[in-house]
Amino acid sequence: MVNYGGDEVCALVIDIGFSSLRAGYAGDDTPKAIIPTHYGYTPATPDADVAMGDGTDGGEASNKSKYANIYIGQNGPSIWRPGMEIGNPITDGLISDFNPIPPLIRHALQDVMRVEANEHPILVTEPTWNTPANRERMAEIMFEEFQVPAFYIANTGVLNAFAAGKGSALVIDIGQTVASVTPVVDGFVLRKGLHQATLLYSARSSKHSPGLSHSPLPRFIHGLSKGLLTNATNYRGPIELWPHQLIASKITNPSNPNQPKTLPSLITESLRACDPELRQVLMGNVVLTGGGSLFTGLLDRLNAEMARTFPHAKIHAPGNPIERRYGGWLGGSILASLGTFHQLWISKEEWQEHGKAIVGQRCK
Amino acid sequence: MAASASDIRSALSLPDPSAVAGPSQPKKPAPTTRKPEGISRELYSLIGPSQPSVAAQVAKPRLKQKPRFATGISSATKWELKSFQNSTRKDGLQLKHWVKASDSVDAEYPFAKYNIQNPVYTYSQDEYTRFLDTSNRLATLKDGKGELEKPWTKEWTDYLFKLYHEYDGRWHVIWDRAEFPPEAGFDLEDLKHRYYSVCRKLIRNRPWPGDEAGRSALINSLQFDIEREQMRKRYLVSLESRTADQLAEEEALYLEVRRLEQTERRFKREREDLLRTLAGMDSGLPYLVEDNGVPLGIFSEPRNLNKKRKTIVGQEIDSPLTPSGAGSSVSAIKRPQNTKSAAYDAQHCIIRTELPSSTSATKAAHQPAYIRSSKIPYLKNNSMQSKVLQSFAEMGLSPSRLVMPTKENVAQLEGLLEAVTAMLETKKLLDKADHDIQVSKKQLAMRNGQLEDGEGDGEPGVKTEEAMDVDQTHDETDGNEGRGHSVGTLSESAFDVNLLRGYKCNESLDTEYKAAEAWIEVSQ
Repeated sequence: MVNYGGDEVCALVIDIGFSSLRAGYAGDDTPKAIIPTHYGYTPATPDADVAMGDGTDGGEASNKSKYANIYIGQNGPSIWRPGMEIGNPITDGLISDFNPIPPLIRHALQDVMRVEANEHPILVTEPTWNTPANRERMAEIMFEEFQVPAFYIANTGVLNAFAAGKGSALVIDIGQTVASVTPVVDGFVLRKGLHQATLLYSARSSKHSPGLSHSPLPRFIHGLSKGLLTNATNYRGPIELWPHQLIASKITNPSNPNQPKTLPSLITESLRACDPELRQVLMGNVVLTGGGSLFTGLLDRLNAEMARTFPHAKIHAPGNPIERRYGGWLGGSILASLGTFHQLWISKEEWQEHGKAIVGQRCK
Repeated sequence: MAASASDIRSALSLPDPSAVAGPSQPKKPAPTTRKPEGISRELYSLIGPSQPSVAAQVAKPRLKQKPRFATGISSATKWELKSFQNSTRKDGLQLKHWVKASDSVDAEYPFAKYNIQNPVYTYSQDEYTRFLDTSNRLATLKDGKGELEKPWTKEWTDYLFKLYHEYDGRWHVIWDRAEFPPEAGFDLEDLKHRYYSVCRKLIRNRPWPGDEAGRSALINSLQFDIEREQMRKRYLVSLESRTADQLAEEEALYLEVRRLEQTERRFKREREDLLRTLAGMDSGLPYLVEDNGVPLGIFSEPRNLNKKRKTIVGQEIDSPLTPSGAGSSVSAIKRPQNTKSAAYDAQHCIIRTELPSSTSATKAAHQPAYIRSSKIPYLKNNSMQSKVLQSFAEMGLSPSRLVMPTKENVAQLEGLLEAVTAMLETKKLLDKADHDIQVSKKQLAMRNGQLEDGEGDGEPGVKTEEAMDVDQTHDETDGNEGRGHSVGTLSESAFDVNLLRGYKCNESLDTEYKAAEAWIEVSQ
């Protein structure tokens, strides 16, 4: 094992996406627990709400009481229960609602994997445009609620590059709701990417991530297809192929500047923001990942589109669908099982000593 | 079928070879091969034991061999879940991993050694104000080129050094994370320039513990030419901003150059052939450089792009990439290569021998590397060999063996060989000339004798001084008659004279020749 630079310390890796939460042991090639991120809940009765309403001591306490019951896991949101509603904590790739996160993680670790979180160092992934407040909150959950001995939060862009075996790469990650293009150099995300990522319907998140190019186009396509399938009308156009919409979008008016960006435009903008020296390196190491990249023909179409503008582009797309769907988790699994990585963990001791500031210092 | 040999023997009533063999060859034991499994007895008796291929095919397939564990020799290795401490961590985080129980507990964590830190350069306030402060010297000339250095405050410099340390000198990441105020107007090259210049100044101005060479080497490793880098980046940008039309034009131009080159080369070759066949000479025109990978003229955009880009990434490129005419760019490309290889050769004791200029261009312009000792000059002329060997032996040398075949020694040996050969050649010629002289002297003596017998007035002393006069008088007086008379003797001696004239060995020969000629004239 030492030959490969690996040193297993029984670390766990948790990767939270919009569609599913992946958890497993570092060093494995597939996550052990894959549970839907959607959760079912029955709203709390109004009188309980009123009881907490006069307290008004922050959103957390009042939000917690929002749910009388929460249903999580494979049999959670998918089973009909009277009065149950379905929620998802993720918006635009970011965790916007932290209340269901501890139950979700607890379910994945204790009920599915049957492990005690306080015995294992845990590596959690975050999207590139994650906010410092968000990652500190995640660290807090891990240290305070799960009592983990060590914690690290790593970027999905970097992890996807690692999963493809690259230190520098242009990672095209197409998830269920968000498609993103992330330049990674030497294991670091270049944040000074774009300065105007116009995101459809999300002025809020564009405020958070001024420099990162991601697009909610997949969500839009999903929504469109759902609408088309459920209530097709006479004046709606025929169903177009999804991947082609990702690339050459004709969904909305092309002159509309607020329309979601297509993948080639995301790539072009991301590259333009990078140093000219880096462009060739990045174009030679394009990593296509994410479950949304599994659409038939997407890779071919993307290849053709990119060959037009960048004749030397080389796209690395794992043929194994598992590797593509859980690329972020896989990269985390690789990272957390490396012997040289163990000096980077934020230990509980450090957390108690430095507080939240250590997260920003350590996880650059 | 198997017994066919013995059958034939018995049919021809030949003796059995094993029976005929002498007693020294013991009789082999009868083949006692067992009937392989899976063959019926009848079939086996038919095909006999000498059909192993059939038997192997018929043999039952076996299951894969079970692996044999060395269970009896040693017990299984014990592994333990042990907690360990990483020495590169400042806190006391205890992680657990599985290790062999035999490993020592207090061993250093094996991955701690990979935590290598770059040397951190720090400076005191005093040092900063003395050496590094450029904010009050706005007009500092940089390399005499008249460009102004950008003003750096101490805060910015501190911040830059902090970032450099934090990101381990990954300049692209530093540039990405750095947040300088926009009025500073820094770009990546400015950051690099500042960092490296500060480091250089610190090293130069501080007392150095080691030797001077190490110090200058360190300073050299921290060199950064901001103008070159900026120019390089500009070229890069201009390369990338080419339109499709420009690319197509470049490609077309490149193809055109290649075509022209080929035509010219073909033309040259044809002319060469023509001249050689008609006039038997070389045209003397310089050959075009054979195409060996690097195309003449432009750095080929489409074909060499990958290579070029790689060099860009490796920060190696130093020549402007825009094509500037075939000739100049060729020299621009070739020159640095040569200088570099010269330095390299000097360092590695490689000596390149120039190909002889007469090598035709059609031959591969490549000379393989060889060991000098394998090319010790040897004697090519077989007839001379023994004599050369003899003379070498007289000198106490051996021409075929060189104890130290260094370049100088080989050259000296070669020179010596040539000198000896030339000397022997000369000696041979001299001998021949001497012999000829002897012969002609003999002839002269004989003719003198004849003359004395016939006319009696032929003084031998006459022949030297008065020869010409006599000749002329003869011509004037005798006219045609005398000339016709002299033809026979002249043609007789012409061969000898020519021989002598060709050999011109020494002065005495000349005088002898003159004497002979004079005598011939006189004799007529």
